[in-house]
Amino acid sequence: MSLNAPAIGQPSRWILPAALVLVLLSFVAAVFLGIVDLPARDVLSALTGTGSPEARSIILDIRLPRIVTGILAGMQFALAGLFLQTITRNPLADPSLMGVSQGATLTVTVFLLFTVYLANPDSYSVNELPIAWLPPAGMIGGMLAGGIIYLLAFRLDLSPLRITLCGIAIGAVLHAVAIGLIAGWGSARIEIILEWLSGSLYARTWDHALFLLPFTIAGLAMLPLIYRPLILLRFDPAVARSFGLSYKRQFSLVLLVSCALAASAVGAVGPVVFVGLIVPHLARFLAGRHFPLVLPLTVVLGAVIVTLGDLIGRLAGGPEEVPIGVVTALMGVPVLLALLRKVP
Amino acid sequence: MDARKSSIAIGCIVVATLLVLAAGLMPGARTLSFEAVLRALVSPDGRIESILVWTLRLPRSLAAATAGAGLAVSGYLLQSLTRNPLADPGITGVTAGAIAPIVVCFVFLPSVSGLYYPLVGLAGGLAAASVTFWVARGGNGHPLHLALGGVSVSLFLGAITIYVLLFAGPQSTALLFWLAGGFAGRTWGHLLQMLPWVLVGVSGAFLLHRVIAMFALSDHSAAAMGVQLNLWKPVLLLLGICPVAGVAPVAGPVAFVGLAAPHIAKLLRPRGTALEIGLTAAIGALIVTAADLVARTIAIPKELPVGIVTALLGGPFFVYLVQRGRLDFKGEGA
Repeated sequence: MSLNAPAIGQPSRWILPAALVLVLLSFVAAVFLGIVDLPARDVLSALTGTGSPEARSIILDIRLPRIVTGILAGMQFALAGLFLQTITRNPLADPSLMGVSQGATLTVTVFLLFTVYLANPDSYSVNELPIAWLPPAGMIGGMLAGGIIYLLAFRLDLSPLRITLCGIAIGAVLHAVAIGLIAGWGSARIEIILEWLSGSLYARTWDHALFLLPFTIAGLAMLPLIYRPLILLRFDPAVARSFGLSYKRQFSLVLLVSCALAASAVGAVGPVVFVGLIVPHLARFLAGRHFPLVLPLTVVLGAVIVTLGDLIGRLAGGPEEVPIGVVTALMGVPVLLALLRKVP
Repeated sequence: MDARKSSIAIGCIVVATLLVLAAGLMPGARTLSFEAVLRALVSPDGRIESILVWTLRLPRSLAAATAGAGLAVSGYLLQSLTRNPLADPGITGVTAGAIAPIVVCFVFLPSVSGLYYPLVGLAGGLAAASVTFWVARGGNGHPLHLALGGVSVSLFLGAITIYVLLFAGPQSTALLFWLAGGFAGRTWGHLLQMLPWVLVGVSGAFLLHRVIAMFALSDHSAAAMGVQLNLWKPVLLLLGICPVAGVAPVAGPVAFVGLAAPHIAKLLRPRGTALEIGLTAAIGALIVTAADLVARTIAIPKELPVGIVTALLGGPFFVYLVQRGRLDFKGEGA
């Protein structure tokens, strides 16, 4: 089988442009719709720099940054999921199933515990929370969890199936420890971490978008480099090596990239589950097995899903918006269960 | 091991559990001497020692032992039923299924008495298990699907639980401590509340040990030996979920016990299903009692949720089992 063999049923060439149009549409919808009813004219004038200060603040400081953060995070989750599914040769791998999200949760918890609780033992004082530091803290934990997966793969020499199993177990352990710490914390500021835990784009600022941007750019820039390894990593190690692939090095590289993408995204928006799982499947469903198309489609659809999911969450919940993590869980699980049922 | 050795092993583990239980009566925010504990046990009076022993330490330790035995047998039943070494209340989503509706009831329907929570948990656990088993084709599909389906169901319910917690306001702290899994402040009432559910699960498993033994081979052989699959599969599933439904409202999720205890019991190779069940229950009781003791003595006067301890013990054990190939599936070249 040649590497670029067209799969059964050549996919339509219109899929990618259509998906790009969908991104634009969802972006526009997300900017114009919201719980504060701004007329379209006000939104437009705010975007061009004129208009009332309230409209400008709503559009430029509240809606736009959260939309951009969501788009970046969505692309990263989707790519990370695609990479993990490829290297573990398991169609059901996902950062939230394999411990990366839980690792980030744990370090964010520990970080908040040290900075808020231990630094101010009287836990009822209201002080500035170090929110700007949450993304890097979460990122470290996600990377550590990725490191554990790496050790399992190469120190214990486990097969992809076993790696998936261990990833599930590690995720459960890290989650239990994080919940335990939160429970033991007993502070009045517990909502902060609860809101982060539910995976939310609420109150995301340009700082979050700027934090994510380098990772998104680096991840996208890596794509041409790891494109060929990605295709070969779908085979057994022996087969991949016979194509001249240095299996271990490329496996590690792709694992590193996917963990960095997932961990930074979790750090910025919290564990938004199932985006990494669902989007690659959606892309494969639309593009067949045509990998050159699956890859860009995954990136684009990741952005669409998170933008639309956040929009739904904002509009559905009224003033108490539904966190994006809950929306993706509600939308994702039926898809996932149907997928599991279909895979023989 | 033959039957006699197995019985002795069970006896040893029960004695060890009792020893841990007794030792656990001494340490705490106020450490009691051995004589003081003995005096308080034999002749309870109104003094502080006897209150510490009889209303604080003894009921919670007994609750831990009961919960451990129940969760272990629940894991055993689920593993036998699906012939999947990964099946356990946590991984199949049963625990999350029991927890989520209880949280919803607690926050949105405060009029529902806590006495009904086991029933709510039973319904939720049954629903979650049905979804997971539907995905895994009743244990006949790809074995990994049971784990992935269960974890997905758990994540789904977990997202809902966290969302509901956001609405709970000041109650969220108490709910979170319960969600972390623990026995702090559990009373005789709590123990009595979960005891019948655990008893149903454990005694049901003993009564049906012949049926369970036949399930161990395959659905076909079980049917060939005269087991009515349509009757016994749901019964065993229900029996497996009962202990979880009883334990979850009291202790929250206690991770990995249901997975680890049956595997440890099988490592000892007891003879016969009935002894295996007994050994599993005893080991589960020992694990949770010991974990509870560790959780409340490691950082006196604060205490950790017991869920952290069992997770920290169980996770590495799980990886060990995977590495040793003990969690491989028949006909799987993994």
